[in-house]
Amino acid sequence: MTAITATQAPSRTSRFAKNRARELTGKTGWTVLGWVVGIAFFLPVLWMVITAFKPESAAETWPPQFVFKPTLAQFRLVFSGMGPFLEHSAIATVGSTILVLLLAIPAAYALAIRPVKHWRDGLFFFISTKMLPIVAAIGPLYVIALKTHLLDSIWVLIILYAAMNLPLAIWMVRSFMLEVPTEMLEAARLDGAGRIREMSEVIMPVIVPGIVSTALICVIFAWNELFLAINLTVTNAATMPMFLISSVPQEGLYIAHLSAAATIASVPVIIVGWIAQRSLVRGLSMGAIK
Amino acid sequence: MAAVNYVAASRVYAKGAPPAVDALDLDIKDGEFMVLVGPSGSGKTTALRMLAGLEPLDGGRIEIAGRDVSDVQPKDRDIAMVFQNYALYPSKTVAENMGFALKMQHVHKDERDRRVREAARLLDLDDKLLDRKPKALSGGQRQRVAMGRAIVREPQVFLMDEPLSNLDAKLRVQTRSQIAELQRRLGITTVYVTHDQVEAMTMGHRVAVLADGKLQQCASPRELYDNPVNQFVAGFIGSPAMNLQTATLTDGGARLGGTVIPLAPGIRTAAARDKLSELVIGIRPEHMHLADAAARSADGFGGSGTDGAELTGEVLLVEELGADALLHVRLADGGGSVVTRTEGRKAPVPGQQVRFRVQPADVFAFHPVTGARLAG
Amino acid sequence: MTIIQDVVSPPVAQIGPRGVSRRESWQRRLPLLPALIYTIVVTQIPFLFTLWYSFQHYFWNEPGGAHWIGVSNYKEVFTDANFRSAVVKSVTMTAIAVIVAMLLGVALAVMLDKKFFGRGIVRTLIITPFLVMPAAAALVWAGPMLDPNFGLVNWLLQPFGIHHVAWLSNHAYGSVVLVMIWQWTPFMTLIVLAGLQGQASDVLEAAKVDGASAWATFRELTFPHLRPYIELGILLGSIYLVNAFDQVRLMTNGGPGTETTTLPFFLYQKVNYAFDVGGAAAAGVVTVILTIIVASFALRMFARVFQFEEAR
Repeated sequence: MTAITATQAPSRTSRFAKNRARELTGKTGWTVLGWVVGIAFFLPVLWMVITAFKPESAAETWPPQFVFKPTLAQFRLVFSGMGPFLEHSAIATVGSTILVLLLAIPAAYALAIRPVKHWRDGLFFFISTKMLPIVAAIGPLYVIALKTHLLDSIWVLIILYAAMNLPLAIWMVRSFMLEVPTEMLEAARLDGAGRIREMSEVIMPVIVPGIVSTALICVIFAWNELFLAINLTVTNAATMPMFLISSVPQEGLYIAHLSAAATIASVPVIIVGWIAQRSLVRGLSMGAIK
Repeated sequence: MAAVNYVAASRVYAKGAPPAVDALDLDIKDGEFMVLVGPSGSGKTTALRMLAGLEPLDGGRIEIAGRDVSDVQPKDRDIAMVFQNYALYPSKTVAENMGFALKMQHVHKDERDRRVREAARLLDLDDKLLDRKPKALSGGQRQRVAMGRAIVREPQVFLMDEPLSNLDAKLRVQTRSQIAELQRRLGITTVYVTHDQVEAMTMGHRVAVLADGKLQQCASPRELYDNPVNQFVAGFIGSPAMNLQTATLTDGGARLGGTVIPLAPGIRTAAARDKLSELVIGIRPEHMHLADAAARSADGFGGSGTDGAELTGEVLLVEELGADALLHVRLADGGGSVVTRTEGRKAPVPGQQVRFRVQPADVFAFHPVTGARLAG
Repeated sequence: MTIIQDVVSPPVAQIGPRGVSRRESWQRRLPLLPALIYTIVVTQIPFLFTLWYSFQHYFWNEPGGAHWIGVSNYKEVFTDANFRSAVVKSVTMTAIAVIVAMLLGVALAVMLDKKFFGRGIVRTLIITPFLVMPAAAALVWAGPMLDPNFGLVNWLLQPFGIHHVAWLSNHAYGSVVLVMIWQWTPFMTLIVLAGLQGQASDVLEAAKVDGASAWATFRELTFPHLRPYIELGILLGSIYLVNAFDQVRLMTNGGPGTETTTLPFFLYQKVNYAFDVGGAAAAGVVTVILTIIVASFALRMFARVFQFEEAR
């Protein structure tokens, strides 16, 4: 029996066009739906940004204006007023995140690589602190802060934000550490690497992207935090969320100004979130879902 | 009647790209066990998936029992498939896995249970396993559940995509014969894909060898072994593989490793017709018979026609198989390396010079460019 | 050949795993200690104080500091209709928001699992509400979106015959829940999407060959596969949402009346407006106890839902 050679080209792809067309119509349907839903969800954010460019006279109108003369006046106002708030937010966020990483990385090591005997209990302890409502202790927290002269100081925020993010960071970093191939660790041990060497030369290089995503998630939560800030700070450590609240005066037009302030306040985290998109799920599920 | 026909079936992934399956023409008889074999990328799995309806046809058509099913949904084709990784439903028990298709057809629960139990019995699946979930089963058990899921449906055609590749060697050999026997018993047309030519040879009624999306040859295992139609098939079928060496044409034969091997007249005519100066010689390891060291021909021509040619070389490596031994031999005069098979007890040692005889009838010749077999 | 039986020597001691040495144990604990000590100090000490103050009469605006009054703060908490109402509001708001967000999340995840043009961008658009600062979201929704006189929502609803609704006055509860849903649906979507993408494609093909329609495949295979993810999403979402504060404070200030006063806001009011540290502490303790009861169920589910990856 001889091999049958290929037949003419046209019949080889006679249905190709039909198949592609069918795929395309299916795709188009989902594309339309997807974009409609996407825009619907994004609309309030879009509206916030648009309103930020309006002069106040054009912001509180009926019907709402879509065509207007854009101005940067609101942004200028926001920039002139937000200085200290921005500074406090930055210090509290960066400071608490650094503190969190310094505590979480060794802890994750002790719960993942060379585990402590009761590592399960340890993990559960950390996650239980996350479940307890901080709101319940706000009165005494205020008193403690007052007595230790930490009230309205940036330190109280750094300390509390770190405590708030620590369980999350430990679970997340732990899940990254568990991904380091066992063979790599065993090879390092055979080569005589001690704990420090193992950590710095084997583990850290592998998990650096994971550390970065963990840091970004902590930044998101610290930056956005309002409850502790509003209760424990007044002026010396007031953060961006407080700035937003102060943009709502008792009287007068303020919507455009508020929108500008909201935009500036939200943009850093939105950008961070877009970048860390892939690890957002891992962070939010405490490392349970990759 | 559940014959399967591929009629110029093609699959192209992107316009202008080489087809994954190139105008395949294949006729599978009712009740036949047809094996599609070939290296990875040969299109065999794609061809199977086209039959299943999981890949669209970009050209040609496919028929089952005479009916054109090219545009028919998988569920309406009356086929059942065993996937390479078994694809068992993780959230369902073994019994639910096997009865799933029947449930989709709204078969009554009692009837479903009966058929599931029957299939389980056929496959030696213990009743206790029926209530377990796939993750609590061993690899071999999962494989049988996957088969059971297909059998329960009593379809017109069985499709199997390398179902043995995830089993360990011993289990593979055992299951191989069980599948072949099962198919004989049930008599359902089966299309079986594998990359392992041993599986193909031992299981199939006929074997279709594919390469680069094209059908090379479709014949019984014996026919493929004795009469390969081109160099690819010759080199693919048979283990260890056929020795293929380029040899220059001379009067009366081809020169290889310092010896002239006589060629059949038909080969010489075909070579002359194509004006070839060299060709590819193919000799199977089992056809190279170790000559006794004492016997030596007087003339360097390699002996008379009935005795065959004699090749010499040095043994590089001996692989013990128990009953046999494989010798890796470097031929004299830069003839390249070949593998020969010899009886285990009389095997030479590495470094030793050896001679072996080859009968002209066992010598295959192929076109050096097209790979087509040169014959009378 | 005889088999010699050893009946004279004593039996060999059973061999079991030796475990790690004492020194090694302590070396392993060391890296964990900083985080452990820090957490205990910063989270447990305030709660101990809360417990202490719950038995005290302590008002900010009163001179004289705190003095012991036993359980009368607790009596007050349990008889306070506002406290009970706050608990109910917290539970119902959280439940509605979590359930609706999860239903939308599943729908959106199914949509995002399909290939279409600009899928990545649409995904980014959909997760944005979650990233917006909750305070900003609350204020933007309260003002530019829901204001009766110039809000975008009223303008968008005009063609449907709905005119000039005063959302925050007349539908305060719904408005707050709406913003919670808007912010948390992306979270649910991402979790469910991770689950969908983790499904083996050949299992879905097998279902196709077995004759399952798209709906049957979802009902019989995809949904059971998604269950742990959905449970996780509901669990985590509830934990975060039950403590939600920003929306209530900035959109309705707990009002009108106590219509939107949730537990966090209730406690906030007790401290900041009633200056009642003692009362707030007692309410806080009760809140913690309620949370512990719920959380212990949740933690059990947590362990089941997570495939607890073994440590090395």
